[in-house]
Amino acid sequence: MLLIVAQRNDLAARSLADRWRPRCTAVLTARDLSVPGWKFDMPAQGPSRLIADGRAFSSNQIAGVLTRLSAVPEAELDHVAAEDRAYVSAEMTAFLLAWLSSLECPVLNRPTPSGLCGPGWRIEQWLHLAAGLGIPVRSVRRSTSRAGANQTEGGVSVTIVGRECLGTVDPALADYSRRLAAAADVDLLEVRYTSSAPGARLQSVSLWPDVSRPDVAAALLHLFDSRVPC
Amino acid sequence: MLILLWGLASDPPLAAVREQVRLLGAPAVFADQAAVLETEVDLEVGQTVRASIQIRGESFDLAAVTAAYLRPYISCELPAIASAGPDSAQWQHAALADDLLTTWVGISPAFLISPFAAMAGNNSKPYQLEQIRRQGWSTPETLITTDPEAARHFWDRHGDVIYKSVSGIRSRVSRLGPEHRERFTDIGSCPTQFQEYIPGRDHRVHVVAGEVFACEVCCDADDYRYPGEGNVEIRACTLPREIEDRCRETARAVGLPVTGIDLRRTPEGEWHCFELNPSPGFTFYEGRTGQPIAQSIARLLIQGAWSPRAPET
Repeated sequence: MLLIVAQRNDLAARSLADRWRPRCTAVLTARDLSVPGWKFDMPAQGPSRLIADGRAFSSNQIAGVLTRLSAVPEAELDHVAAEDRAYVSAEMTAFLLAWLSSLECPVLNRPTPSGLCGPGWRIEQWLHLAAGLGIPVRSVRRSTSRAGANQTEGGVSVTIVGRECLGTVDPALADYSRRLAAAADVDLLEVRYTSSAPGARLQSVSLWPDVSRPDVAAALLHLFDSRVPC
Repeated sequence: MLILLWGLASDPPLAAVREQVRLLGAPAVFADQAAVLETEVDLEVGQTVRASIQIRGESFDLAAVTAAYLRPYISCELPAIASAGPDSAQWQHAALADDLLTTWVGISPAFLISPFAAMAGNNSKPYQLEQIRRQGWSTPETLITTDPEAARHFWDRHGDVIYKSVSGIRSRVSRLGPEHRERFTDIGSCPTQFQEYIPGRDHRVHVVAGEVFACEVCCDADDYRYPGEGNVEIRACTLPREIEDRCRETARAVGLPVTGIDLRRTPEGEWHCFELNPSPGFTFYEGRTGQPIAQSIARLLIQGAWSPRAPET
């Protein structure tokens, strides 16, 4: 089975689950963490047990995980008493970090302590990493004394899935994007440039590419199928 | 050299380190969160980084910072800002100031005590427990479950079991008792962490780069931080060489130049490790043992260098 960890209103995740239905796909939401049946022990006494889409599975049934949550948002916990939501959100996020980290199948992206779907970096951290790799970047300035946000709309994006670069850009930009993903130790990344031409500057990065796109869905499936559990 | 201290003047560890930095005569900037509304932060990141902070009208170039001691609280939870509410200008200013400084910390080449990325593992106790186990420590058997039957089985198997939060949110460690049997259905709503109870004497070990300050804690409570009517006695001690070395290596492996390691020695002499505190409230122990932990941290800030890599052999 393939597992997608997402918010319940994540339409792209639902679309992907529909597309992957022949592969037995389940969507795990915060609601599933409030269903009896989870069992995760350390050191592992065997495969863990999980609930997704309200159904019970064993972790050894999972062939791959796509995580679309950086943390469990309080807004997903309307089944929890309002005064407990902040605590339960932290508990569920902490649990998912440990559990996702324990899985031996491919997990995109691998969780980090700062984010369940990869490093929870601000744009400045991505730009700093990119600049250190020699990638031209468009600078971002933020200040407590300076109103207004930096304009980051427009441009053209590419999506990195493993070593694949999806999108029509100059080969140098595709290479930049692959190098950035490798340096950040992520397999799934959307990188936006000011244009598709040589000399374009990197302007934003996202860990949430549009996975409802057929080419992204196919590349993800190919990646899951090509990787044997470590 | 310039040392940045970020936090609240009333925070005992920060106050202790600040005082030691002053006594050692090192130049320092105190980013006082109590003055967050009188603090301006400016950050520009492109091919290069430009960052500055202005505190009560005095400006500093953050590029000049060589080391930082980080003990920030959430500024928006300070009474004056919390009472203004999330829509207020005060709240938004404080939140942005926190965010900009946090972002700067994430890209700064300065020596940090401690890097936020290394501290974040403490936000998940089971995640951190796996880090600890990989360093060769014995760790308690742990079950996280929403299944009451699995919890009952774990309890029956171990006889003596404690429960505690999964996240880094501070919670009292408590032992399961007969009164919990009826409440087990509650765990269905959120994964709950159970651990086998390990009997023995607690030890807190502060590691400051290569220096180790160990103390033992004599207390009968399940969690000595909440002794109730009981007595807590803390005294400096010396660890077996192997355990001391493992503490150093563990701190190094997880990238924490300063950490408070929670150990327990069983009556049979086995050592178990429970947790790494990435920003330890060391003054509680320093005050009872006289160990010069704040001074050691201040010296490390002045030295401004510590390699998280294992030493070459």
